[in-house]
Amino acid sequence: MKLSLGAILAICLAGLQLIAVLSVVLSSYVTSERVLLDHARSLLSDLGLNAIEHSKGFLQPARGTAELAKRLAENEIVASDNPEILEKLLFQNLQISPQFSGLYYGDQTGSFVYVMRSSSIGPYRTKIITNSKGDRVTKFIWRNEDYSVVGTRFDATDTFDPRERPWYKNVLRTRDIIWTDPYIFFSSKKPGITAASPVIKSNGQLDGVIGVDIEIDAISDFLSNLKIGNNGAVIILNRNGDVIAHPNPDLIKIEDADGTLKFANINEILDPIAQAAFGTLPKTDDVTVQTEISSKFKHGGKTYVSTLMPMGQSELPWTIAVYVPEDDFTGGIKDNRTRNIWIAFAIAVITGLLGLKLADRIIKPVRDFAVRAELASKGEVDVSKDLPKTYPELEDANDTLVHEIVQRKISEREYGQTFDLASRGMAEISPNTGRFIRVNSQLADILGYSADEILGMRFSDILHPDDSDTYAFFQDAVHEDYEYNQEKRYLHKDGSTIWLRVNAILIRDEHGKPLHAVATVDDVTAQKVSEVKINGLSRDLSHFARVNMMGEMAAGLAHELNQPLTAITQNADAALSTLQEQTTSDPELTQILTELDQQAHRGADIIRALRGFVRKDEGSKAAFDFSELVEQALHLVQSEASVHGISIVFNAENIPNVFGNRIQIAQVLVNLIRNSIEAIASGNTALKQIDVIAKEIDNFVEVWVEDTGAGVNPDINLFTQFETSKSDGMGLGLSFSRSIVEANGGQLWYDVNSAEKSRFCFTLASAVVNEEVLSNV
Amino acid sequence: MSEANLTVFLVDDDEDIRSSLSRALTKRGFHIENFASAEEFLDTYNGEKSGCLLLDYGMPRMNGLELQQHMISKGYSLPIIFITGHGGIPESVQAMKAGAIDFLEKPFRQKTLVDCINAAFETALATQEHEKKTKDLRIKFERLTDREKEIAQLMVSNSSSTSSKDIGRILNISPRTVDHHRARILDKMNINSVTELVDLSIRANLFSK
Repeated sequence: MKLSLGAILAICLAGLQLIAVLSVVLSSYVTSERVLLDHARSLLSDLGLNAIEHSKGFLQPARGTAELAKRLAENEIVASDNPEILEKLLFQNLQISPQFSGLYYGDQTGSFVYVMRSSSIGPYRTKIITNSKGDRVTKFIWRNEDYSVVGTRFDATDTFDPRERPWYKNVLRTRDIIWTDPYIFFSSKKPGITAASPVIKSNGQLDGVIGVDIEIDAISDFLSNLKIGNNGAVIILNRNGDVIAHPNPDLIKIEDADGTLKFANINEILDPIAQAAFGTLPKTDDVTVQTEISSKFKHGGKTYVSTLMPMGQSELPWTIAVYVPEDDFTGGIKDNRTRNIWIAFAIAVITGLLGLKLADRIIKPVRDFAVRAELASKGEVDVSKDLPKTYPELEDANDTLVHEIVQRKISEREYGQTFDLASRGMAEISPNTGRFIRVNSQLADILGYSADEILGMRFSDILHPDDSDTYAFFQDAVHEDYEYNQEKRYLHKDGSTIWLRVNAILIRDEHGKPLHAVATVDDVTAQKVSEVKINGLSRDLSHFARVNMMGEMAAGLAHELNQPLTAITQNADAALSTLQEQTTSDPELTQILTELDQQAHRGADIIRALRGFVRKDEGSKAAFDFSELVEQALHLVQSEASVHGISIVFNAENIPNVFGNRIQIAQVLVNLIRNSIEAIASGNTALKQIDVIAKEIDNFVEVWVEDTGAGVNPDINLFTQFETSKSDGMGLGLSFSRSIVEANGGQLWYDVNSAEKSRFCFTLASAVVNEEVLSNV
Repeated sequence: MSEANLTVFLVDDDEDIRSSLSRALTKRGFHIENFASAEEFLDTYNGEKSGCLLLDYGMPRMNGLELQQHMISKGYSLPIIFITGHGGIPESVQAMKAGAIDFLEKPFRQKTLVDCINAAFETALATQEHEKKTKDLRIKFERLTDREKEIAQLMVSNSSSTSSKDIGRILNISPRTVDHHRARILDKMNINSVTELVDLSIRANLFSK
């Protein structure tokens, strides 16, 4: 399964983060627990050591018995000899050691001095047994703190013999200081131990044994005061498993079957936790441990940690046991840890959500891009628009992947737009049937049909009868993959003839099979009509030029001939007058001169008739568009200008219609332009241009024909007939043009002030103002 | 009033025309002056000599019509007869409208030309006569006193009420004084009635200024 980028980002940013947080938390959870346990054990160990030190310190004074015994030996104090000194010595020692319950001395004679604390009669009681040569006296003395005697009593029934006692025997045997196992003191019912030390004379003989009873209930008191967590405890076990010290001192004493008090064994004590703690110890007589042992146990659903450690002194084969509920150390930390886990979880959730948000934000441009690409492929969005904010990688992808789409869409759209919005008519035509597959509104307008009507028609339906072979030609051209391009006549819906230029190519599919022909159609009717008009104008002009050239020649001849004819008639008249002055006038001479005059007039009449004849074809005057006339006239001279590389520029701004004979004016224009063309062609100027400029001045339109030719020789009278600068000219053109312009109410002149160009000017009457006036002339 | 002091001014650029025409007309008793161009004629003519102008229409530079316009603008009253080698209807209409005696197409019958010249001379003489009368009248008018000129002007301008009473009321003088002035005016102007004074005044354009 492929994961989406969004899912991957969500997992990375949210999931992995959660895992990281939890792993850190759990790691610290585990390590902190271990540290805590280590700490707890260390604490327990410290407690044990503390208890050991305290116990040692507690028992330390007992060691003083060795010193005491030494001093007794040095002073050779024996019980039998001087019990009073001995008693005082022991009393003093008892007084300074509060943990001592009693001090005693017994010698090999069986004498015995025993000073102990008392709770009745006096605070101290002394028991003295003197046994010299079988004479045994047992005496009890009660004393105050100041050693004063409170009471005295003798006991004849006393049978106590120190030499029978275990402590005496042990010392006698070992000749060294000994410690008894703890036991319950008979008198005080308190736990205690006895330390006994031999008193040896300088000769090496044992004189006696001194003993100290030490109450160890104070150790229990100390233990009960030790604060070990909330529920922890320290107990001290003897090697046989007896509990000799316990925070609750009452628990360590139990009554034996014979009514004597003894220590409770660890297996018997009414402390189930302690039992559980040491239940794991081997069930042997000696429970002493050699090294520190840490362990864990469960009791009552709670976990406890415990430590067993040896006292570290051979004379005291005790084991210190410390146990405490684990929770006492780790509880608060566990609570804190639980809280931390929740906080971490909450942080993980929050950061996870932020991660999801961030992932969403990171993925958004990608998603936008995907949406955009989707829309672009459907064409619902323009891919050429700016890409939404995204990543360079995606922009590159966009460039490469969307490029195809863009090109395809653009070409599709361009074709569609070209088709529908083209200024010319367009059609897709079936190459086989000639049926119109698709047409645009322009074609419909050209043909006069609606687009729907055309789609039901064939190409052959619009053919003009005179151009009925058009379709066959079209089909041939298209199927041969030639480009069809013809101007032919077609029929408009209203039956009128229209000229269409049809340009068609065949479109094939990727297998070469013909799909359709695409045709562009231009309505060239107006152009054709214009061509017809121009051709007509050309015909009219050539006829007019012929006729008018004759007329102008006739007029010129008339003028030239009329001048001498006039001179003839005048001279004839002068001759007749001279003849009449003379008295002898000859009637025949008069007749001759009169006929001469008449012949001259007859010649003038013939000339006048000839001129009248050729002047009949003058045409009629009317208002017309001069700009249009210029455009048409330019067509007539264009080829001639092109041959000589001359460009003709027409420039007219808002000129009114002019009034006159359209064909005559056209002849003037053509004459002037041809003169300019010839002037440029015969010269050698760099710039070859003719400007035709028309502008309205007062009630006239003034027309300039300028050329860049060599100009006019000032010696030539331009407008005189039969004068010309052209080698092959007759000199009639300009005078003819001038007479035409003047006949149309205007003037024609050569602008001598035009410096750079040769400029001929003529004026034409504006149609609006001059129509009435000129029609009267 | 003799034709002897009238002159035919001939303007034509054609030497043959000038020589033959002047010779023929001289033979017929006319006094001819020749000019080869409009400009040459204008340089010489100052308006004093009377007669007529025989003018060729088609000449280089200033043509006949242009010279006609120039004469009108200068106030010369010399009558003009156009002669042309190629008579165009539009040009002749224009010339006749501007006051030409005739527009003759070359070559013309000599009788036609002479008739035209005589008609032009009559016009010239009538003009000359009119100008002389006007000149005389002006001289006489200038002899009047200021008061008499004032009264004469009132009588001419207000011809419906020319009685002495009306004029006396306007000028705030007695009708008798007006009568006296009136008699003096008629006497000095050498006329018989107020009606004649009005007529002469209009013809001589006495009070136009």
